[in-house]
Amino acid sequence: MRWDKKHLLGIKELSCEEIETIFEAANSFRELSQREVKKAPALRGKTVINLFFESSTRTRTSFELAAKRLSADVLNFSASSSSLTKGESIVDTIKNLESYHPDILVIRISQSASLYDLSKYTNASIVNAGDGCNEHPTQALLDMFTVREIKKTLRNLKVLIVGDILHSRVARSNIFGFQKFSSHIKVCGPPTLIPYEFEKLGVEIFYDLDKAIKDCDVIIFLRIQKERQKVSFFPTLREYVENFSLTVERAKRLKEDCLVLHPGPVNWDIEITSQLKDKLHPLILKQVENGLAIRMAVLYLVGTVK
Amino acid sequence: MKILIKKGKIVNFDGIREADILIHNSKIVQISKDIKEKVDEEIDAQGKFILPGLIDIHTHLRTPGREDEEDLLSASKSAAKGGFTTIMCMPNTEPAIDNYGLAEWIVKEAEKIGIVDIYPIGAITKERKGEELTEFGALKKAGCLALSDDGNSIKDTYLLRRALEYAKMFDILIISHCEDKSLSSEGAMRESFLSSKYGIKGIPYISESIVVFRDIELACYLNARIHLAHISTKRSVEIIKQAKEKGVKVSCETAPHYFILSTEDIEKNNFSSLFKVNPPLQEKEDVEAIKEALASDIIDCIATDHAPHSKAEKELSFEEAPFGFIGLELAFSLTYTYLVKKNILNLKDLVKKMSYTPAKILGLKDKGYIKEENIADLAIVDLGSRWRVTEENLLSKSKNTPFLGYELEAEVIYTIHKGKIVYKKSG
Repeated sequence: MRWDKKHLLGIKELSCEEIETIFEAANSFRELSQREVKKAPALRGKTVINLFFESSTRTRTSFELAAKRLSADVLNFSASSSSLTKGESIVDTIKNLESYHPDILVIRISQSASLYDLSKYTNASIVNAGDGCNEHPTQALLDMFTVREIKKTLRNLKVLIVGDILHSRVARSNIFGFQKFSSHIKVCGPPTLIPYEFEKLGVEIFYDLDKAIKDCDVIIFLRIQKERQKVSFFPTLREYVENFSLTVERAKRLKEDCLVLHPGPVNWDIEITSQLKDKLHPLILKQVENGLAIRMAVLYLVGTVK
Repeated sequence: MKILIKKGKIVNFDGIREADILIHNSKIVQISKDIKEKVDEEIDAQGKFILPGLIDIHTHLRTPGREDEEDLLSASKSAAKGGFTTIMCMPNTEPAIDNYGLAEWIVKEAEKIGIVDIYPIGAITKERKGEELTEFGALKKAGCLALSDDGNSIKDTYLLRRALEYAKMFDILIISHCEDKSLSSEGAMRESFLSSKYGIKGIPYISESIVVFRDIELACYLNARIHLAHISTKRSVEIIKQAKEKGVKVSCETAPHYFILSTEDIEKNNFSSLFKVNPPLQEKEDVEAIKEALASDIIDCIATDHAPHSKAEKELSFEEAPFGFIGLELAFSLTYTYLVKKNILNLKDLVKKMSYTPAKILGLKDKGYIKEENIADLAIVDLGSRWRVTEENLLSKSKNTPFLGYELEAEVIYTIHKGKIVYKKSG
């Protein structure tokens, strides 16, 4: 097992070997969660602070439970960024919490790429729980972990990501992650939601979902933020659904063993028709279970690094 | 007060020669070899170069409104240390410099301080709102040599047309900050592969060049003068080149960071807010284009766009922090290190871009050139010295510069303003 990283700020900075190391640890922690006594002493005596500057229930809960199952002391600190700009700055908040000598700060923040520089203000390890539109590394790790479990490999897959790529940290982290294993990435969405010069990242860009879904091994549907409609990224939700929703028709044309993932929570009938709920929901829920194992693995690795 | 500067190499835009300079009161009274005269102070400038006092056509002095970030005294000291003897301050203050009283107050306060000349740039529109014109004549009388709405690029083309026309009556320069805000809104860095990779909201390069083109078209149509602030992109340079070839009365400036830094420096520095500026740091090909445009005189001046911000403001994340770098104490050494030492400009060109041409554009007749009868505004520089940029050695109240830690070549050792030594390097 090889791990010498103090922080997990993004997938960009990880090697394949490090990703495999996280998966190995996640495998054993998933097993732990199936036992009667769901607790290991791995992080006993350590303090984990969930520092969420942006509202989140699912990711925060997942991190909280992960830390608790590893016997860490957990503190949840939530504050909206807007109230912070009026009063205490993010830097000051981190310096304040530093007085408690935390071991790990799990941070979610709305400003893209802001954690790289923030890490200089703390001695604790930082785990990125989503920084603006930049990265959401644990989400990508759990997506990849889920795919690897079923497909037995991450190599040479055809992976399609559908929706609001522009604002998606999930998309970016998954692209960096799958690419490290030589998988081919396609992205599909309205041109207004595809980032500038994104082809330079080595991804294939589609505006037509019917063409994009051909031969895919994995499709990740991103959650669409309904308010994007107000700022002219697309005219109506109806037209978005017509072009980018997974319908029964489209589902029929997928490869038999194509995996459909979603970071959740799903806007049923928007990203995916609810007619497919029974068929597709179980895998999406499996992602949630794997998410817990991945977060335990990450906390354990950064929390015990020498 | 008489000062004699011995044996310095005098640099004008059109030549360098070694001679003594005799200053009496505020003027240069004699330039020749071996002047013998009983004086109050004699400066041995052997081996040193004497430049006409530098003139900064673009600064932000935060007065009135944010005197905690910079005030006229700290700005004056900072300017003098950087070799500047004349600086122009933008009206993006609180309240805006949009009336006679405030403009005159700044000129008078600067005179009282007596370190450098500060000329305010008056607002084109009241409160810089882009709605109603200010009194250009009154602002000129108060001491404004130019007008601009600064960062509030005038959206209404009709209004800008009227401003350019009306300005002719007073022969006052209109300075335009070229930015289409509807394209750049909320952007924090140049829209580029890197902004996409890190999910940072982008500012497309066309948000500058679209307005450059519009402003040039207006100036051409009206046969009016216009000066374009902080040009940063290759495309803008192409448009300006074409306009100059056609004879449009357009002049422009750039700032040192646009010929030194690019988007990659933001990534290398962990998205530190110290690298956030507007216009944003551009791509490498833009940096090259700016250097070429300086060498070929498409870009007329080097300004600082000195923009002080408090420590707390620059501690905000890259996306939230305000735009801007300080530059008064760095511009000369940066230009020397990155353009002169790299043979892109020579020392005479530096003087042209940082003193002679700004004086000409602003109509400052007895500045920007070292000759008898001109005002004794001089900077004596030591080209052999090296110094490191640290927070401690900056006199500006604010320390926000991406060049912290850089080792630069050439240093100002004396600054003389109106015949008075206003800065002398210690030690």
